[in-house]
Amino acid sequence: MARLFKNGKIARADSADFRTADVLVNNKGVIESLGASLSVSEQVEIIDCEGCLLVPGMFDLNVHGREPGEEHAETLASCAEAAIHGGVTGLVLMPDTTPPVDSGNLVKSLQDLVSEVGSIRMLPAGCLTKGQKGERLAGFSGMVSRGIPMLTDSGNSVPCPDLLRRCMEYARDFDVLVATSCDTAALSKAGAVNEGKVSYRLGLPGIPAMSQEIAIDRNIRVAQHTGARLHLQQISTENAVKSVASAKEAGTKLSCEVSAHHLLLTEEQVVDYNTHFKLSPPLRIESDRAALVAGLIDGTVDVIASNHSPHSDFEKSADFGSAPFGVTGLETTVLAIYDGLIKPGVFGWDLLIERYSKRPREIIGLDPVAIEEGARAEFFVFDPNAETEMKRDYFKTKSPVTPFLDKTLAGAIRQTVV
Amino acid sequence: MNGLKPRKDLLDIESLSLDEIEYVLENAVPFKQLFQRSVKKVPTLRGKTVLNLFYEPSTRTSSSFEVAANRMSADVTNFTISSSSVVKGESLLDTIETLQAMRSDYIVIRHQAAGVPGIVAKHTRASVLNAGDGYHAHPTQALLDAMTFREVYPDFRGRKVVIVGDLLHSRVARSTSTLFNKLGIEVGVLGPGSLVPEGRHDFMQRFGSWDEVFDWKPDAVYLLRVQMERQEGQFFPSIAEYHKMYGMHSERVQRMRELDCYLMHPGPVNRGVEITDEAMGYEKSLISTQVENGIAVRMAVLHWLKPETQLD
Repeated sequence: MARLFKNGKIARADSADFRTADVLVNNKGVIESLGASLSVSEQVEIIDCEGCLLVPGMFDLNVHGREPGEEHAETLASCAEAAIHGGVTGLVLMPDTTPPVDSGNLVKSLQDLVSEVGSIRMLPAGCLTKGQKGERLAGFSGMVSRGIPMLTDSGNSVPCPDLLRRCMEYARDFDVLVATSCDTAALSKAGAVNEGKVSYRLGLPGIPAMSQEIAIDRNIRVAQHTGARLHLQQISTENAVKSVASAKEAGTKLSCEVSAHHLLLTEEQVVDYNTHFKLSPPLRIESDRAALVAGLIDGTVDVIASNHSPHSDFEKSADFGSAPFGVTGLETTVLAIYDGLIKPGVFGWDLLIERYSKRPREIIGLDPVAIEEGARAEFFVFDPNAETEMKRDYFKTKSPVTPFLDKTLAGAIRQTVV
Repeated sequence: MNGLKPRKDLLDIESLSLDEIEYVLENAVPFKQLFQRSVKKVPTLRGKTVLNLFYEPSTRTSSSFEVAANRMSADVTNFTISSSSVVKGESLLDTIETLQAMRSDYIVIRHQAAGVPGIVAKHTRASVLNAGDGYHAHPTQALLDAMTFREVYPDFRGRKVVIVGDLLHSRVARSTSTLFNKLGIEVGVLGPGSLVPEGRHDFMQRFGSWDEVFDWKPDAVYLLRVQMERQEGQFFPSIAEYHKMYGMHSERVQRMRELDCYLMHPGPVNRGVEITDEAMGYEKSLISTQVENGIAVRMAVLHWLKPETQLD
């Protein structure tokens, strides 16, 4: 049935102003018309959006879907549900499944699984190295011919600079994006939190900021040498922002992402050994957080990506040092950014749409989505005057592990249209 | 009975109030006096059970807790788990289930992972006593150190202690320095840059050499144990060099003697590494007093904590 969204305020990437209009979505999911006081026939479901925003669907470049292999933590179906619930209408699946997605055949089989779920666009990425082991190149051509959006070893940093160089040289010929998380294992070792006051206070082994910064500088240099397109995943420090800024100034084909967690939280929030704050890279200090927000605003940081990393409660119930890194983010990113940055006036919805909807799609060569006549309807209804209680029953993911658990965030996502 | 809010667990020093610290330290004194008597037992914890749960090998601390519990007339069960037989983390919740089923009133726990005593405390009605977790905390060690220092310096406020050695990997240094600071005792630190992280504790003054330390005129030198197996070649070049730079030997003992300065060490001592045999014989060494006070302080802590297994 066709749906009419009445009196919503339409948000967009290129302006902080909203346009109030009715949006008619036909039964094929296309925005048929858009305008003031649209007249309706009787077969139309009317959704009153008075006081609400209509926001273009977000796109998340860094999501761990866990299927196949770890379906106890997440399935493609629960992942898609979580995404829709959080206002995300498209995403890239990291290849660190079991088995890792490192060949054309595996890409194909994962694409088949995704199409069975069928609800939103979930694009499987391919491994940079065979099995993500950092030893040999994965089968690039087969994966590229299946249309992967990027090559990445997701959470694993390619340890050998020579191998990374060969990967990038090889990838350049396919003009495929190479995405790397950045960590120097010899420095991060068994670290569990940012190295600093908090690691000392808690008696936990620390991960120094330079373990990411050295890897970022190295990877940028390799990208400059090879001419490959590089995307840095989950940057977390002030120096990382500086490195990216100067590399971009030098004309490097470079983009980077940050998570909402790193934009909003610091190591100071890691208290009481709560493993819901154990992230990779770890939460850093206030000057890092502030630099990431500034970088997001000035464009040094291209996109927000959640690094949605489901782990079961059981896995996260281990002691802090032993528990796995990572928390979920698909259902918290929009709300947390609204609550912590948009509502207090740090930036507007236009920036969030630019950084979490438009630019991520651009980076992997997709058209942006917008709320306009003739476009496919991909948006969500956001109520800025409501609140969302992040109780366990709020979540659609199978693994509601998040720093925002049991918090109340401003705003509520009423409905997502895909 | 004492005007303090009842406390179930002792997990660290940071969360203790000054009143609580005073209460424990004052109560440890009569327990220590008990040791002079032929019968060293009090009936306080008769019928109560104490579970000594050690995931890391320890003779001193576990026997100190055992003796303390025995002198309180509690029933003690010792439970040593070699780390190789434990899948770290994954079995923790299962272990806690088991502990809960044993219905112990007090659980003394040492674990190689920081934070584990806190997780156990959250999931059990027993009182949990942290006997050392990772690099995090060793609160009863800090309390016995404070008791020992206050015995020799009743006017302890404003006095000075220098901690020497590996602060990075030391739960003793963390807890003891924090407690001394709370008590108004000045804390300095001497050790190689690779083992003394910068700017972690704002209250600690860092020294570059023994000469600087002695110029500061400390009232006690607190030597930390060197974890030789883990550190040689990684954090300092050799034991010999460590000893030369930071160890306690007769020449430095002489300087201490001139300053009327006491010597402390949490034990067990690596003779020839952080301290020589002859320095061990220093007349102002408090090392065995620390051991004795350890029992008294642990009795006072057992006496103080209130398990939720008690119905009153």
